[in-house]
Amino acid sequence: MKTLEIKNLHVSVEGKEILRGIDLTIRENEVHALMGPNGNGKSTLLSAVMGHPKYTVTEGEILYDGQDLLKMSVDERSRAGLFLAMQYPQEIPGVTNSDFLRAAMNVRRESPVPLFRFIKEMESTIEELQMKPDLAHRFLNEGFSGGEKKRNEIVQMKMLKPSLSMLDEIDSGLDVDALKIVADAVNKMHEETGMSLIVVSHYDRFYQLVVPQFAHILVNGVIVTEGGTELIDRINSEGYDWIYKEFGIKPEAEEEVKRPVISLGSCAVNRGNAAK
Amino acid sequence: MMTIRESTRIVLPEGLSEYALDAQQDVELVLEGTGRSDVYLRVLDARKAVIRCSVAAGAQVSFLIWNACGQDVTFDEDYTVAKDGILRIAYGEVNDAGMKRRSFVHLKESGAYGLLSSASLVSAEKSYELTVNNEAPHTTGILQNYAVVLEGGQFVMDATGKIEKGSHGAESHQTSRALCFDEKQNSKILPKLLIDENDVQASHATTLGRVDEEQMYYMQARGLTVRQCTSLISAGYLLPVTRFIENEALKEALREELEKKMEEL
Repeated sequence: MKTLEIKNLHVSVEGKEILRGIDLTIRENEVHALMGPNGNGKSTLLSAVMGHPKYTVTEGEILYDGQDLLKMSVDERSRAGLFLAMQYPQEIPGVTNSDFLRAAMNVRRESPVPLFRFIKEMESTIEELQMKPDLAHRFLNEGFSGGEKKRNEIVQMKMLKPSLSMLDEIDSGLDVDALKIVADAVNKMHEETGMSLIVVSHYDRFYQLVVPQFAHILVNGVIVTEGGTELIDRINSEGYDWIYKEFGIKPEAEEEVKRPVISLGSCAVNRGNAAK
Repeated sequence: MMTIRESTRIVLPEGLSEYALDAQQDVELVLEGTGRSDVYLRVLDARKAVIRCSVAAGAQVSFLIWNACGQDVTFDEDYTVAKDGILRIAYGEVNDAGMKRRSFVHLKESGAYGLLSSASLVSAEKSYELTVNNEAPHTTGILQNYAVVLEGGQFVMDATGKIEKGSHGAESHQTSRALCFDEKQNSKILPKLLIDENDVQASHATTLGRVDEEQMYYMQARGLTVRQCTSLISAGYLLPVTRFIENEALKEALREELEKKMEEL
């Protein structure tokens, strides 16, 4: 039974405290919704669990399957079974999707995955996510549309078979059809493998497709209330104002912690880092 | 494959030929290209290697010069290309030892074409001084240099495209790019275009930058170690140099050598 346990987690970014004591337990096979207005720490929580170097844990613990995640590097956490489908997936010019994925699969195995099997599996996953067949040979996310990038995150998830996946606004940038395709793929994997899920979304539509058993509302860096699907329904119809009233919270007019990269095409995005 | 141990003069044969330079001393190679020749020169050992090569009118000569030396080496190279001759050179510099190279291409007569390209994985001091000199009308000079600078590496690329007076209709283009993994590294690219004629086409492009931390994080978040990320990104950066090689066997040789090196990273 692999369980993620977050205890009294405090996280700072560049000296500013974003999370102020989070407690959260995710057991195998569970689906959790993480909700809250923008800039209140949802992405920060997922990034801290994954180990992004910008996020400093100042207090508290994160355990997965009994292991102390805070002592593990990002790649070790991934190999321990964690997966983060990122809100803004990076473009990596020069590295093809297939080379990248094959390397990522091989680090989890004793012996390398046979090429033929890899190709078959990649093909069927690309088909399942209804992406263009040339995906394997294209550079990782380079020149991908927003929706293609999000679907490619799920291609990676399917291939790497994590035991816990965190989906950070996977539905943003997806049209209705793509949303359904992604949700089906996630549900199928959840059913087949018992993979647990933490889902961050602003839209009820996605929570209707990937149905959480638990919902947690994150405001000003703390979980102010928790519940089941009825909580999601209420936020969907009433917004967050009632939470502010009921729990006596004054919403801080915070800046977004993570600024979105506006996609102007790969040239503009990569300007200054000479990755091309 | 022929092993060269001392100064020698070679008339390059037609087709593909392979040489291993294995000399524990200074050595001078005088090479003559008169037809269509593809040359794979592996440098296994040398102190100073002097190369003088002429490409005759209408001849086409391609080189892959691969540095496999275990110690520092200095190259001093001069090439001349006669009327409508074609010279293509690709340098592979991924060994851990230091290297200093001066390479000068004279495009002597009209229609001459000269291309210098390089793929460098720099973990020691590697310094290039490359010049392609357009000395006649309708000549074309191209420089294409790609480098990945690792910890402890120091890279200098001094690349000059020069068009002399009277070389109307000449072209000179260059691209030099370096990607650095170490924040304390000290690398320089000095791109120069010296143009003394009006009716010409010329361009240059240069980038020198650090690997994006977000890219590294993204790849690590899929389970790859820092080492594996470095290897994949470096391969992606350097392998495109193979497209500047026309001959399939040489192209494949460079690809294989680069891939082998990346796997060892």
